[in-house]
Amino acid sequence: MRPGEIALDCASRAFDIRGDRGRTLKELLLGRRHAGGPPPVQALNDVTLRIEPGETVGIVGRNGAGKSSTLRALAGIVPLDSGRAECGGRVVTLLELGAGFGRDFDGRENILLNGALHGMTRAEIEDRMDAIVAFSELGEFIEVPVKTYSSGMFVRLGFAIAAHIPADVMLIDEVLAVGDEAFQRKCEQRIAERVQDGVTLVLVSHDAALVERTCERVVVLDGGAVAFDGPAADGMAHYHEMMGTVTA
Amino acid sequence: MVRRELRRKYQGSALGIAWYVVNPLVLMGAYYLMFGVVFKVAEHEDYPLFLMVGLVVWVFFSQSLLSAAPALLDQGSLIRKARFPRETIPAAVVTVQAVTFLAVLAVVAVVTFALRGVGASVVLAPVLLAALFAFVLGLSLLASVTHAYFRDVAPILAAVLLPWFFLSPIFFTPDDITNNDGARAALEWLNPVAPFITSIRDVIWGGVWPSAPTVLYVVAAAALALAGGAALFRRMEAELAVVV
Repeated sequence: MRPGEIALDCASRAFDIRGDRGRTLKELLLGRRHAGGPPPVQALNDVTLRIEPGETVGIVGRNGAGKSSTLRALAGIVPLDSGRAECGGRVVTLLELGAGFGRDFDGRENILLNGALHGMTRAEIEDRMDAIVAFSELGEFIEVPVKTYSSGMFVRLGFAIAAHIPADVMLIDEVLAVGDEAFQRKCEQRIAERVQDGVTLVLVSHDAALVERTCERVVVLDGGAVAFDGPAADGMAHYHEMMGTVTA
Repeated sequence: MVRRELRRKYQGSALGIAWYVVNPLVLMGAYYLMFGVVFKVAEHEDYPLFLMVGLVVWVFFSQSLLSAAPALLDQGSLIRKARFPRETIPAAVVTVQAVTFLAVLAVVAVVTFALRGVGASVVLAPVLLAALFAFVLGLSLLASVTHAYFRDVAPILAAVLLPWFFLSPIFFTPDDITNNDGARAALEWLNPVAPFITSIRDVIWGGVWPSAPTVLYVVAAAALALAGGAALFRRMEAELAVVV
């Protein structure tokens, strides 16, 4: 597998959606199962997708169409029921900014912590420390515990870290709407820079304009299956049609 | 790497590190009053020290299990959002407990050595402590991953640990409370924590060599617990992002 290459082969995954998912020990011992309730949801249904290194792919679709599940399967966070999901090289996932921050630690400590979670060595993080701090525009707030941050500062730091992690593949789930307009523009620019450097980008978003700006290829998911896969403009047209939001 | 950073994180949150030392000391005072003065279950020289050595081992064991069990659920947001070796979470919990355990044990050992002298058997201490760590780590992996799937594990643990404490040779030796060979053997060998307590007390408080079967038992129990815990953890960790 080449770095930056992504392959999903006949990937299927169902989720049990009973509210009370805690199988208790008693039920296990008695061999009893919950009866009734809604059946499992097929989040991914035989999805096959090949992405070449350096491609920029937007994934769109209705709520619950399997977009996030696709990313989580690619990231290896959730295993598949059947099929295969593989990413070549280093993968960075931006599923939720600031996940794993220690609230009592200051910005710098959280950069170290978060970098370590993404598999960076201490030296690698130290090298990028200044760039991350500068990018986050936190200024002197970098020295105080993150629990004192505003929510905007929190996600700005989260994005700054993720944007500076060396990667061959970036999986981004709806997290670009970060901070004020100026910062959002900066984030997009940073993503564009990374793409220029040859990073493969997979972006899940409901922001049609953003997808069209950043992605050359669009995959439309519907009911856990691929409904369209092709150039961005055609893909977005298909998406709007499907959603009944055609304008013009 | 991740491991070290997670440890840092948890250590940082344990700001009141003094509490880790104060709590066992208070416990020891209470038990000394109860079993040393009021009930007189056992006669041992320097009884507070005798008690303390057993007690710190027990506190490490029980606190590790109790804090490891809910650890994966507490870090659920991290598990759902990022890919990293999941065992670092329980391992970090146990390591924090181990650090405080070693700190308290060091204090106890220094006082004990000053008052009672040092035996040559103390060279065994690192082996026994390493085995204890592996034993506790293995069981903590087990507790944390099973608790993620079956939320009854932590309350069951809490319920089991209390009688277990009284059945463990912490404030007595099996010889003190029974003359029945069968009962004594049961107290010594059926309780997997007992050989750890006995052997560590032998080298620190007693200044004598622990019996060879005890040491073998300790090493075997450690290897078994770690191998079993790690194997089960690996089998069950895949679905963690879904269940937590």
